[in-house]
Amino acid sequence: MAEVTPAVEICDLVKDFKTSFRRQMLRAVGGVSIRIEPGEVYGLIGPNGSGKSTTMKALLGLVAPTSGRCAIFGQDSLRVDSRREVGFLPENPYFYKHLSGAETLRFYGKLCGMRGRILEERVSELLVLVDLENARDRRLGGYSKGMLQRIGLAQALVQDPRLLILDEPTAGVDPMGSRQIRDLIFKLRERGITVFLCSHLLEQVQEVCDRVGIIFQGKMVKEGRLEDLIAIEDQTEIVLRDASPELIARITALVAANPETELVRSGKPRTTLERLFLRETQRDAP
Amino acid sequence: MSQTPLSPTRSASGSHAGRISVIASHTFTQLVRMKVFYFLAVFAVITIGSNFFDLPQHAGPEAAGTNILNSIKSWSVGTMTLFSVVFAIVATALLLPKDVEDRTLYTILAKPVPRLDYLAGKLLGVILLVFVSLALMDGLMTAVLQIRSSMILSAQMELAHSRGWSAPEIASMRNDIVSQGPNISLQAAVFVVFLRASIMASLALLISTFSTSTLFTSIISFMIYFIGHFQADARGVFLEAGAGWMTRAIALLVALVLPDFHLFNEFDAVIQGQAFPPMLLGQITGIGLFYAVFYVIASWFIFAEKEF
Ligand SMILES: Nc1ncnc2c1ncn2[C@@H]1O[C@H](COP(=O)(O)OP(=O)(O)O)[C@@H](O)[C@H]1O
Ligand SMILES: [Mg+2]
Repeated sequence: MAEVTPAVEICDLVKDFKTSFRRQMLRAVGGVSIRIEPGEVYGLIGPNGSGKSTTMKALLGLVAPTSGRCAIFGQDSLRVDSRREVGFLPENPYFYKHLSGAETLRFYGKLCGMRGRILEERVSELLVLVDLENARDRRLGGYSKGMLQRIGLAQALVQDPRLLILDEPTAGVDPMGSRQIRDLIFKLRERGITVFLCSHLLEQVQEVCDRVGIIFQGKMVKEGRLEDLIAIEDQTEIVLRDASPELIARITALVAANPETELVRSGKPRTTLERLFLRETQRDAP
Repeated sequence: MSQTPLSPTRSASGSHAGRISVIASHTFTQLVRMKVFYFLAVFAVITIGSNFFDLPQHAGPEAAGTNILNSIKSWSVGTMTLFSVVFAIVATALLLPKDVEDRTLYTILAKPVPRLDYLAGKLLGVILLVFVSLALMDGLMTAVLQIRSSMILSAQMELAHSRGWSAPEIASMRNDIVSQGPNISLQAAVFVVFLRASIMASLALLISTFSTSTLFTSIISFMIYFIGHFQADARGVFLEAGAGWMTRAIALLVALVLPDFHLFNEFDAVIQGQAFPPMLLGQITGIGLFYAVFYVIASWFIFAEKEF
């Protein structure tokens, strides 16, 4: 059987930018290769300025590669047709402030050639999906950052693309908003949509990605399945509820009796501040 | 959300004309919601106000009518020219950098939208707005002229009858007033105003594809607009002083690249009540189309290579 066409194929991408007056070149991306299979959620992580956005822009044909090649579902990124199957959410997006949520989605839907009832149904469906039915007819000028990010996500999904590219989808959004966005990504993954996202916030990526790549100064430093990358192979964790001090003492004694095993640490697991915040705000909600 | 790999929404990706009209109508809405139509109120004040300008200059009772009609026309057409050109330049110079700055351009170009469609759509949106506002202003001017010329006509008729003018004299007086009223030549003159604004919008589009600021684009566009009005004279003087083929080639190139508006001024005579020669109108339309298409294609060449 023939090999499946990868959703994203980036081969040895190099991108140089001219820096103002002097003819000196700035290498934003230096030989990155990424292959994403259909249905995967891939996270590109790295600090600011490491070339994540530039990689995504090259994949979308917004910048032309200095060398190398990008393709979406086998179609070269420099061709307009390659963008039929892709939705993009840029970082810190601002949409047209004078349009309402529904008008925004209608505008992008029409750009994809959608019309009439199909478009209207799609618009309503997406507004429900991103939980903005109530803000449907409000102008985007009055949207919060989290709402903008969600309308941006809906806009990216308007023509029902098979690939979604998200540049820092959770940056600048409060924990609850960022939770919502991650839940959405989970939903999309269940529907078989391929997601390529990037972030400098490592924890937020951790939960949703099947595979991650770590990029630093334009070079891929490490890439692999998330479990493989973050599992500490020689350690095992046991988390107990309502364990009596006696039980703990017995377990500790048992471990001490075993010469190959070493007790690294025991104590109360910490919740993350984010989880604490979510728990507390949920409790206050009616 | 449909799961079928070939849902109807996916197979249809639309036509060029479809996408251009979507972007054009969006641009139109955007400008309307920036409340640009308020300037129509200013225009209304000027047009209605021009009814009362230069009243003291009336030479004699015979000339009274035509003077007022002339004043209404020249004030109105002058204001239309000013508004349409300023508007075409500033709106075009504003829209492109705004899309780049707000990153809305990324979201548009990340859809299957060719860059030419985007440019053409933006430009058509601005031109559509110029057209609609000129049509509204023209409507108002025509209405004011219509009312005023019929008032003048009946006043002059009374005068003529009381003085016992002969029939041919009355007919010629009536002709004079009608030729100063709203007529087809005046509409042609407004169309020329529209063409000139459209050329300036396309030129501003071209400049804004490589300029980095709205201010720069606007200033350069206005400079070229003024050059456009005297470049023909300058060329004449220049070529007079014994020109080799080099100079001629340069002069030709300048005329090709910078708009040449010398024919566009001919309609000043129309305001004085003369008919607009159809040949001239055809020529001006041809020139207008040439520059507009030329600038759009040049913009596309620059914009296609652009990185954001
Ligand atoms: N249009 C541009 N012109 C010049 N330099 C750029 C441009 N875009 C990005 N860069 C540079 O390329 C590098 C990578 O940027 P970027 O891809 O935005 O990083 P990230 O998204 O990982 O924060 C940065 O040093 C940035 O300054
Ligand atoms: Mg970035």
